[in-house]
Amino acid sequence: MRTAQRIEVRGRVQGVGFRPFVCRLAREFDLDGWVRNRGGGVEIHAEGEPAAIERLIDALVSRAPPLADPQPPVRRPAEFGGCAGFEILLSDSGDETPVHVPPDHFVCPDCLDEMRDPAARRCRYPFINCTQCGPRYTLIDRLPYDRPNTAMADFPLCEDCRREYEDIHDRRYHAQPLACPRCGPVLEFREPSACVAIPGNEPALSGCIEALRQGQVVAVKGVGGYHLLCDARSDAAVGRLRERKRRPDKPLAVLIPWFEGEGIDWLVRLAEPRPEERDLLASPLRPIVIVKRAAESDLSGLIAPGLDEIGLMYPYSPLHHLLAGDYGAPLVATSANLSDEPVLTDGAEVERRLAHVADAFLHHDRPIRRPADDSVYRRSAGSMRPLRLGRGTAPLEMRLRYPVAEPTLALGADLKNTIALAFEDRAVVSPHLGNLGAPRSLDVFEQLIRELSALYGIEPKRVVCDAHPDYFSSRWARACGLEIHRVLHHHAHASALYGEFGPDGDILVFAWDGTGFGGDGTLWGGETLLGRPGGWRRVGSLRPFRLIGGEKASAEPWRCGLAACWEAGLDWSGCPVDPAPYRHVWERGINSPYTSSAGRLFDAAAALLGTTLNQSHEGQAGMRLEALAGDTADFIELPARRENGLYRADWSPLLPALMEGSQPAGYRSALLHTSLAHAVLAQARAIRGESGVNLAGLTGGVFQNRILAELTADLLRADGFEVVLPASLPVNDAAIAYGQLVETAGAGRAPSPA
Amino acid sequence: LAHGNGGRLMREIIEEIFAFHLGQQELDTAADAVRLPLDTGSDEWMITTDGFTVEPLEFPGGDVGSLAVHGTVNDLAVSGAVPRFLSLNVFIEEGLDIAILGRIVASMARACADCGVRVLAGDTKVVRRGQGGGLYLATTGIGRRRPGVDLGLHRVRPGDRVIVSGPVGDHGAAVLLAREQFGLSGNLRSDAGSVLPIADILLGFPGLRFMRDPTRGGVATVSHEIARAVGATVRLIERDVPVRPEVRSVCEILGYDPYYLACEGRVVAVVDAAAATDALAALHRGGFPEASIAGTIEAGAPRVVLKTSLGGERILPELEDDPLPRIC
Ligand SMILES: [Fe+3]
Ligand SMILES: [Mg+2]
Ligand SMILES: [Zn+2]
Ligand SMILES: [Zn+2]
Repeated sequence: MRTAQRIEVRGRVQGVGFRPFVCRLAREFDLDGWVRNRGGGVEIHAEGEPAAIERLIDALVSRAPPLADPQPPVRRPAEFGGCAGFEILLSDSGDETPVHVPPDHFVCPDCLDEMRDPAARRCRYPFINCTQCGPRYTLIDRLPYDRPNTAMADFPLCEDCRREYEDIHDRRYHAQPLACPRCGPVLEFREPSACVAIPGNEPALSGCIEALRQGQVVAVKGVGGYHLLCDARSDAAVGRLRERKRRPDKPLAVLIPWFEGEGIDWLVRLAEPRPEERDLLASPLRPIVIVKRAAESDLSGLIAPGLDEIGLMYPYSPLHHLLAGDYGAPLVATSANLSDEPVLTDGAEVERRLAHVADAFLHHDRPIRRPADDSVYRRSAGSMRPLRLGRGTAPLEMRLRYPVAEPTLALGADLKNTIALAFEDRAVVSPHLGNLGAPRSLDVFEQLIRELSALYGIEPKRVVCDAHPDYFSSRWARACGLEIHRVLHHHAHASALYGEFGPDGDILVFAWDGTGFGGDGTLWGGETLLGRPGGWRRVGSLRPFRLIGGEKASAEPWRCGLAACWEAGLDWSGCPVDPAPYRHVWERGINSPYTSSAGRLFDAAAALLGTTLNQSHEGQAGMRLEALAGDTADFIELPARRENGLYRADWSPLLPALMEGSQPAGYRSALLHTSLAHAVLAQARAIRGESGVNLAGLTGGVFQNRILAELTADLLRADGFEVVLPASLPVNDAAIAYGQLVETAGAGRAPSPA
Repeated sequence: LAHGNGGRLMREIIEEIFAFHLGQQELDTAADAVRLPLDTGSDEWMITTDGFTVEPLEFPGGDVGSLAVHGTVNDLAVSGAVPRFLSLNVFIEEGLDIAILGRIVASMARACADCGVRVLAGDTKVVRRGQGGGLYLATTGIGRRRPGVDLGLHRVRPGDRVIVSGPVGDHGAAVLLAREQFGLSGNLRSDAGSVLPIADILLGFPGLRFMRDPTRGGVATVSHEIARAVGATVRLIERDVPVRPEVRSVCEILGYDPYYLACEGRVVAVVDAAAATDALAALHRGGFPEASIAGTIEAGAPRVVLKTSLGGERILPELEDDPLPRIC
């Protein structure tokens, strides 16, 4: 007997070809009825044999298109209407349930094949896409997600494209960014200094390839912003890029050709990838993955000086496939921006602001509505974990265990900033925005606050910001006129971790990072927190030392080395400057606040080892130490003094060992890692003894250090602890916005920990 | 110095020190009030008042006395007025060395003479030991507004240029060094002085929109006042904001930004773009060779942006009372 069911599917099911997919399933299972977009999901009316309807419901999730991310369908019996056939109904407009904004997607295998088919009308077309691929987040002006509401509004479809767009059986049915050489965007190559302007896809591409072959730096417009490309094998080209971009040390990502059909697999020529790294590189996310570099390769040594890893990436857009394929060799592909701001998206602005960085420009006329940098992943503690959210991964949807009482906007931290918007039990985390101290970051921050609200149709009723009063985000919060909640930086770190795993009870979190404003007005940094969102208690920390010259200390690790030595009553003979005036500053405490920072402790160690006295980017000293560390089981026991109910790990016994020049630097660096891991274990055991809590979490930017993360996790597990680390969100400050939401939602619910 | 009960000691101080140094015919130390010799006619008069504390009281390049004169004179000068008269309030902490007081008041007298102002009225109080930082001064200044001068933030427009009359941060750095006794003061001196000659030159340009003396909070703080009032971005170019090497190295050690350090003898002026080069040339000719066009007013969010020598851009935030590092 034929019956009827009404099925609702939520999750990421709009703008991803879900309705045509439902139609195909319905035909396969011989069902009648209809499907339509409704609010944030789709609604299906299915009539047919009950068993067939069950199979449909099953397949909705198990066979969902790659771009879709459906939640389990909810169904209820419906009135049998005797439908004939299965159709797509127009969107049920006028309802206001929030929707999902999909991230931008790689070019799918179907489109890639078509792009390579000499007979296809989109052969070698740099903007080919379908419902299963192409830009989304960077393209959408407003919802509903229809072409007139995207950056494609000014590209009227040609007849051929329109036919595909309107044919439900076509994989381009309602593919909003649909385009072809006749009606779609087009490339233009420009070399302003030589008054060269070459329009047209093929001529522009050859112009670009030619420039790259000559060792030039070319700014290329991608999906979420411009990249700076240059030959990754040429020291001259990479050196020029570094010199002009004033980026002496920070590793550069490398784009390699997709090996299928290329004959050469650049991946294994350049690196020693593990299977999970290989899989992630080739996955639809197409992120930058940091992998162990091959001992021998023809990559320029300037790509990642002093490190034994490189960030690799396969092409994600058709344009990148064409560029990498035509060039046939690895290319540096680094975000086109100044210092630590979001990637640039506008052609005129790129030519103006990067006039002295890029020799040439490859533009196209599909506008980028908002920036999305490349996402970055790295293997750590048994999983591939994100270091940066961006193109392909963001906006990232997270669940909130406790729904927020009212729509809430979280402003994140000031460096590696992301923002997040929460409504009901949903939290949407933005892509990486960078350092809000740069004007462009602040502009994009404000743009994104407006646009996320508009895209999701959510008007925030309150904001959450970091407790640090001087953060640019905190200043913005004070000026915005909404009710403000302030969350301690390390509470946010701990809550973000808790939010990902949502244990029922308390958790012991080691939140180790640079610095964050602490509850006692000092700068925290290597903190141990016990409890749960809304009820954290600081139970452990590191021995504090002074940051001589405040923020300056993070750029000049030798200042940390000096201060740590003086704190411990030691002198440092290897100090690269005359210490006398600094001693004065240190003694008088002029602009030299105390901090229990773990990140700055690593900086101090790098200085005392002599490996990094100054750093041009945050984390350089720590990365170098990690790369340097050898293998040893030795460690130095660090005393844990009990101080006002707080275990203070005292790192001072480490200092003489770090300065011991007769030992190899690799051994000394390893000793730092092992000793700190054992210090964590010692604190964890002591606190477990008092609280009974056996679940331990590791988070904060310092745990980007894989050796530290893995050593610590192993030690804790071996001692019977259950250990968790952030998995969906970065371990660094990119997670702060989400953590602020979890903390705010949890406030008032958590019992105070014993 | 002993207590201040208004007795003999106090009278002696007033007569021997203040009347001695500042004793023109108008400063009648015995009178309750004096006649203010304002010319009548169409003149407009401007008044300003300010209090002065500094530690140490004497520093290379100045002292609290000259500061109390210059500070008030400069406020009148940048408002387009010719300073004429001052009143003076003095708060002396018990125990202050009389010799120091003498030097400071003498210095004050010299500053008055330089600036062409006279102290017409004054008062002296002695506060108990521990209740004052040696010596506090307060001055009120009266000046005649120059006819036809219209200066103010209301006249500032996007596109205008920001002129700085000389190296910034000298005063802040010099006082800091003197206070903290670093032993590396070298030849760094405060820029404390009158800005009347600077104002005189700039006032010759109808394109002059606005002037301010960047005292507490420095050039960055004046820039914030401009940005907020105009609703525009003030963009300073690191390369073009003059900073002495000595100041730079103090800032380097301490992790300070020179743009927030006080100046006591400089002017930040906003000038119509068309007049900027001429005004700058006039300053250079007029004895201010280090004056510089340091930035521009641009349409945009009301903020202060520094274009760094490295090619980047960073926001100079509004000064907080007790800034903590943002780094994480
Ligand atoms: Fe952090
Ligand atoms: Mg004043
Ligand atoms: Zn496709
Ligand atoms: Zn077409």
